[in-house]
Amino acid sequence: MQAPQVNNELYAKIKTIGNTDIVVGIPSYNNARTIGHVVRAVQAGIAKYFPDKKAVLVNSDGGSTDGTMDVVQGTAIDDFSSILVSHKGEPFFKIATPYHGIPGKGSAFKTIFEIAEYLDAKACAVVDSDLRSITPEWIELLIKPVLYNDFDYVAPLYQRHKYDGTITNSIVYPLTRALYGKRVRQPIGGDFGFSGKLSRFFLTKDVWKTDVARYGIDIWMTVTAIANHFRICQSYLGAKIHDPKDPSTDLSSMLYQVVGSTFDLMEEYQQIWKGIEKSETVPVFGFFYDVGLEPVNVNVERMTETFRIGVKELGGLWANALTESITHFLGELSTRPIDDFRLPDDVWTEIVYRFALAAHKKMMNREHLLKSITPLYLGRTASFIIENRESNGQEVEESIERLCLTFETLKGDLLRGWA
Amino acid sequence: MNIIERIFIEPFQKCYENMLVFLPNLLTSIIILIVGIVFAYFLKMVISRILKAVKIDRFAERSGLFEVLLRGGVKESLSTLISKIIEWLIIFTFIIIAMQTLKIPTVEHLLEKLFMYLPNILVAAFILVLGYLLSSFFARAILIASVNAGIKCSGLIGKFTRLAVFVLAATMALEQLGVGKDTVVVAFTIIFGGLVLAAAIAVGLGGKDIAREYLEKRIKDGKDKDDIDYV
Repeated sequence: MQAPQVNNELYAKIKTIGNTDIVVGIPSYNNARTIGHVVRAVQAGIAKYFPDKKAVLVNSDGGSTDGTMDVVQGTAIDDFSSILVSHKGEPFFKIATPYHGIPGKGSAFKTIFEIAEYLDAKACAVVDSDLRSITPEWIELLIKPVLYNDFDYVAPLYQRHKYDGTITNSIVYPLTRALYGKRVRQPIGGDFGFSGKLSRFFLTKDVWKTDVARYGIDIWMTVTAIANHFRICQSYLGAKIHDPKDPSTDLSSMLYQVVGSTFDLMEEYQQIWKGIEKSETVPVFGFFYDVGLEPVNVNVERMTETFRIGVKELGGLWANALTESITHFLGELSTRPIDDFRLPDDVWTEIVYRFALAAHKKMMNREHLLKSITPLYLGRTASFIIENRESNGQEVEESIERLCLTFETLKGDLLRGWA
Repeated sequence: MNIIERIFIEPFQKCYENMLVFLPNLLTSIIILIVGIVFAYFLKMVISRILKAVKIDRFAERSGLFEVLLRGGVKESLSTLISKIIEWLIIFTFIIIAMQTLKIPTVEHLLEKLFMYLPNILVAAFILVLGYLLSSFFARAILIASVNAGIKCSGLIGKFTRLAVFVLAATMALEQLGVGKDTVVVAFTIIFGGLVLAAAIAVGLGGKDIAREYLEKRIKDGKDKDDIDYV
C-alpha cells in the first residue's frame, strides 16, 4: 500500500495505529469554538455504537490560527459513565494534521481519504466542524449502513429551516435527481458516510486541483458514487444547526464552485445521465422526528434589488445563454412590485439548463458565465421565499418536489441542446 | 554634332547604362517578392494547422477572447487571425528586402530608419491589442462582481474599468513609440489622480450622508444581512 502524502511524524503515528475499522474525518478552519463538541459527539458515538471496532478521528485542518488542532487533541470524554451505562472497548485514536494543496474543504477531505486508505479503514464518515446539532447517533447512522448493510455511500437527510439550503433546493437537488435518477435529497449536505472501497476510488480521480478541492467536493462525492454504481442510501440525522456562517463567505464564489463542479460532472458522466429518463427513491435509515428550528433572517428586498441590477447590467451577457423569451420575461419581472415577484419553476429550470448548455458549449469565459448566475439565483430565492412565506415544512417540500418534476419533464430540452 | 551628342545621346546612354545596372536589381527584387509571398502563404497554412491542432480556437472561446474579437468586428477564428498576421509580417519583411535590393540610396536610408523604428511599432501594437483584450475581460469581471455585490452603478464601474485599463495600455504604447514621452505619462498621472480625487471629494462631500446611513445599516443594526445557509 502506498504511504499517504504526509509528514514523517504523521506517517509514524499512522504506522503505530495500524489497520482500523472506522475513520471519522473532520475538516476544519478556525473552528476552535465548536470543534470540541463535534469531537466529543464522535467519540461518544464510537464508544456507544461501535465499542468493539477500532476507530480513528482525523482532523484535517486548513491552517487555523485559533488553536483548532489543540482543541481536537485536548478534547476527550474522560467519564463515560455520564453518557453510557457500560463502556468497554477499543482505544480511540486522534490525528490532527494540516492538509496540503489548494485551501478548501475538498483538499481537507483528500487528506482524510489518504489516511483512511493507509489505515485500511472499512467505513468512513466526514462531519462538519461547526455543527452544533451533531449527536452520537449521527456516527451510528452514517457508519452502520456501510459496516452492516453493504452500502458504499450514506448521504444525510436533515430537517432544515424552510429557507435554508437554497442552492441545494433550487439547483443541485433537482438537477442531480433529473440527471442521475436518484433522489438524494441532500447531495451537498456536508456530512457523509462511505466505504473504504469508495474512499480508495475517490483517490484514483485526478480532480484535486479543480473546484472539487473547494466547495465542489460534496456534489463531486455524491455524483461520483451514483454514476459509478456504488450502493447509496440516506440517513435521517435530525436538525442541522451550525455556527453562524462566516461573513467573508462569498455567495457568488460558493455558487460558482458548486454549480461549476456540477456542470463539470455533467461532462464527465454524459454517457450515464443521457440514458436516464426518470428518478427513483433511495433507501432511508433513521427515525423521523420533528425538531424546533431557529428562525432565519431574510432580506428579500436586497435579493430582488440585486436581481433587478442584474437584469439591467447583465442582460446582454445572459442573452448569450438564454432564449429571447426568457430574457424578455426577466426584463418584465424586474419591473414588478415585490408582492408579484414570481420566477416560475419552468422558467427557472430552463435558465439552469441553458446555463449548463452555455458552459458545455463554452460560449464565454466559464467564470464569468457561472458567476453571472448569482442575480438570477437570488431572484429565484426571493421568489421561493415570497411564495412560501405562509407554508409549513411539508408544503415547502411539496413545492421542491414540483420543481424536481419540472426538471425531469424538461430534461429532453437539455438533451436536444447538448447534442 | 558634339552638342547633339551631349544633349541627346549621352543622357540616353547614361540612362541605358543605369538601366543595365538597375534592371537586374529590379528582377531580383521581383523574384524576392514572389518567393516571399509564396513562402508567407505556405507558412500561414502550416501555422494555421498547428494552431488548430493545439486547439487555440477552443482556448479563445473559453477565455472570452473570441467574443472580444467579435465585438471588435473580427469575425475570423483566432488561429486564422494569427496565421494571417504572420503571413503579412513575412510579406512586409520581404517587401523591405526587395526594396533594399533595388539599391536606391534614398530608399535605403528611409528603410534603415524604418527598420530602427519597426520594433517600437510592433511592441506598441501588441500592447494596444493586449490592452484592448484585457480591458474587456476586466470590465466584465468587475461588472459581474459589482452586480453580485448589489451595487447600483455597476455599469458605470464596468465602463470606468474598461476605460482605465485601455488608457493605461494606450499610455504605455505611446511611451513605447516615444511620442511625447514625459507629457503622456504626466497627463495620464494628472487625469487618473484627478479622477480619484474627484471621486473621493464626491463621496466625501456629496455622498457623506448616504455613506453614513449605509455604514450604520451595515455595521450597527445588521438588518441588511440575511442568515440563510445557502448550501
